[in-house]
Amino acid sequence: MIYLLSDTWFLFNKYVRITLRMPMWALFTIIQPLIWLLIFGQLFKNMASIPGFPSGRYMDFFLPGAVIMTVLFGTSWSGVSLLREINFGTVDKMLVTPVSRISIVMSRVIHSAFTVIIQCIIILIVALIFGVRLSGFGGALLSLVVVFLLAAGFSGISNGLAIWIKREEPLVVMGNMMTLPLMFFSSAMVPKNFMPEWIKIITMINPIDYAVEAIRTFYTGAVMSGAVLMEVVFLILFAVAAISWATEMFINQAE
Amino acid sequence: MIKTDSLTKTYSSGTKALDNLTIHVKEGEVFGFLGPNGAGKSTAIKILTTLSIPTSGSAWVSGYSVLTDAVKVRHSIGYVAQETGVDYFLSGRENLVLQGRMYRMDKKDIYHRVEELLGLFDLKGSADELVSTYSGGMRRKLDIATALIHNPRILFLDEPTLGLDPHSRSSLWNYIRMLNKDLKVTIFLTTHYLDEADKLSHRIGILHKGSIKIIDTPEALKDNIKGDSVNLSLNSGVKERAISILKGNTVVKDILCEDSHVRVYVNNGSEAIPGLMKLLNEHGIEISSLTISRPTLDDVYLKYSGVSFKEGESSEGSNPWWAQWAKKGWGKNWKGGEGEWKQEGSEGSEDGKDNDSETPSPLPSPLRGEGWVRGGFSDENKDWQKWQQGSDNQDNQEWKKWMKEDAATAAEQPAGDSWEKQKEAWNTEKGKDEKDEGKNGDNKKEEKNGDNNKEEAWKKWSNASDWEKWGKGGGKG
Repeated sequence: MIYLLSDTWFLFNKYVRITLRMPMWALFTIIQPLIWLLIFGQLFKNMASIPGFPSGRYMDFFLPGAVIMTVLFGTSWSGVSLLREINFGTVDKMLVTPVSRISIVMSRVIHSAFTVIIQCIIILIVALIFGVRLSGFGGALLSLVVVFLLAAGFSGISNGLAIWIKREEPLVVMGNMMTLPLMFFSSAMVPKNFMPEWIKIITMINPIDYAVEAIRTFYTGAVMSGAVLMEVVFLILFAVAAISWATEMFINQAE
Repeated sequence: MIKTDSLTKTYSSGTKALDNLTIHVKEGEVFGFLGPNGAGKSTAIKILTTLSIPTSGSAWVSGYSVLTDAVKVRHSIGYVAQETGVDYFLSGRENLVLQGRMYRMDKKDIYHRVEELLGLFDLKGSADELVSTYSGGMRRKLDIATALIHNPRILFLDEPTLGLDPHSRSSLWNYIRMLNKDLKVTIFLTTHYLDEADKLSHRIGILHKGSIKIIDTPEALKDNIKGDSVNLSLNSGVKERAISILKGNTVVKDILCEDSHVRVYVNNGSEAIPGLMKLLNEHGIEISSLTISRPTLDDVYLKYSGVSFKEGESSEGSNPWWAQWAKKGWGKNWKGGEGEWKQEGSEGSEDGKDNDSETPSPLPSPLRGEGWVRGGFSDENKDWQKWQQGSDNQDNQEWKKWMKEDAATAAEQPAGDSWEKQKEAWNTEKGKDEKDEGKNGDNKKEEKNGDNNKEEAWKKWSNASDWEKWGKGGGKG
C-alpha cells in the first residue's frame, strides 16, 4: 500500500516535470478554457431572455458548462501520451520494474486531473472578474472535487482505450465521439427544461450531466442536498470503474 | 541463470512467434540470440522479462519462474528494449533516479548508484541536460545505465546497437564487454548483426522461425562448416598446371577458380597450407599471394536455417542506414548449399582483386564493408564475406586475449569458480584454439605488415581513453 502511494507519487512527479517543460503546452492549457468561456458566453448570450431560462445571465448559467468542457477536452486526450510512451518503450521500461501497475495508471490519471483543476481555477477567477456571482469559497472548492472525479473518470477511459486500440488516430476520433455528444446530452449548455424528453432520459445515465448539476448546485449555494450527494456518489463510482478498467487493460496488455 | 522449457508463443493473430524454445544460459556468460527480424528474438526476451506471457511452456530467470514469481524476476534483471525507453524530457540524472525509485531503492542508495553509473558510462558531463539533446549513442548508454540501477545480475539487451553509427556501435560493444567482464553481469543479447553476435557472445543460439537451430560458441559454429578456403593468386599462365597438380593432392576437397585466382577447399586450412605451398614450389609455380578464409556466421546461419541470413529476414522491421548495402549484398548472386558457395552467373571475375586488396583497415567492420561497396566491386556478397573474414583474424586475437585474461582473473578469485568452469565448457576443444593460433600465425607470415598494422590500430581503437573521447565529443552530434 505504501509502495502504491510512493510509486504513484514519483510517477506523478515525473509527469508534472514533463508538463512544466513544455511552456507552449502550458500556455494553451490556460488560454483554451478562457476561449470556451468567452466565446460560448457571447454566442448564447441572448438565450437568457427566453422565457423559462433559469438564471439571469447566460454566463452565470454556462460557467459549470465551461468547467466541464475544460475537463472533457483536457482529459479525453490523455491516452495519446500513453501511446507515445508505449511506442517509445518507456512503458516497457516501467513494466520490467516491480513498480505497482495501478500506480502507472493512477499517476497518469491524477496528473491529468490536476492539470484540469488548475485550468478550472483560472476559469473561476476570470468568471469572477466578468461578474459571475459564486455563492462562496466552499462551493467553489467542492466543485473542484467534482472536477477531479470526472477528470479521473474520463482520463481513465482514454488510457484504457489507448491500450485497447493501440493507435493514435482512432483514439482521438473515439475521444471526440465520446465526449462531444455526452456534453450535449447534459445541461452544460442548455437548461434541462428546454430539452426534448428522450434527451432528458439519456442525461440520467450521463456522468457529465451529474457533474454539471453538482457543480451548478455548489456555485448557487445550495450545498448539501440529497441530490448532490447522489450525484457525487455516482461520479465516484464512475471514476473508480474507469480507473479499474484502465488498470485491467494495462495489466492484460501482455496477453 | 536463464532456463526455458519448450516455450511457445502464439499471438492472437495466429503468428507463431516461438516454437518449443528450450535454452539454458549459464551464469557469467554473454549469450547471443542471433536471427533475422521476425525470428522471435524479441518475443523470447519479452517473455523472459515478464513483459509477455507464453502460450505454453515455462521459463526461469535466476531461479524464479517468470509465470509465478514475476516480481522476483523483475528485481533480478535489467532490460534494455529495442526502443530507447528513457524519457526525453527528463535529464539523464532524473531518468536514473526515477528508475531507482521504480525499484523502490532508497534515496541514498540511488544517489550513490547514479553517480557510479554516470561515471561508468561517461555521462557525467551531460547528466543534467535533457535526454532530448543527447545523441543516439548517449541515449543508448543512458538506457543501459538505467537498466543497471538496481545492480541486476542479468541484463537483457534487445538489439542494443540497432540504428547506431559505427563509432557508437563499437563503443557500446566495449561497454557491454566491460559489464560482463568486470561486473560479472550475465548478458542475454539479441541481435541480427552477425558480427555483433560473433564479437560479443560466448555462445550463440541461432533462432529461425521461433525455434533454436543450434547453440554453440562462435568458433565451434564456424568450425562446423566443413572446410576452409585457401585463396591463391597465381601468375597467369600457370593456373591450369597448378590446378592439375592440386587436384592430385588428397587434402584438397574442391577447387574453384576465376581468372588468375584459385580457391582451394580443404578441411583444415592452416595445416594444409605448408603442404600446398611446398607442392606448388616443387613444380616451380610461384604464388603471388595467399589468404585463408574461415567460414563466417553467415555460412553457419545458412547451414542451420536452410536460408541465407538475408533471405530469412521477414519484410517487417526498420530500415537502418545499412539496409541498402545489405540488400545489395547478401544471398543474391550466390546460392548456397551446405556451407559451400556455388557461383551463379559470371560476376566472379573480381574475386582476385578482392583478395589482393585485402589489407583490412582498422575501421569497425560495417564501415569497412561500406567502403568496399563504394570501391565498386560488382559482387558485394563476397565483400561481405571478406569483411567477416578480415575482421575474423583480428577478432580472434582480441577475443582470445580477452578469454585468457578472464581465465586468469577467474583463477585468482575463488568466487569465479563457475566462471572458470564455463570457460572450459565454452572452449571444450582447446585444440581448436591452438589451430586458430596456427592459422593466424600463417596469415601473419603472408601479410606480416598488414597484421602488425592491424594490431596496432586495434590497440589504438580499443584504448579506453579513445572511447571516452567519443562518448563525450562524438556524442553530441
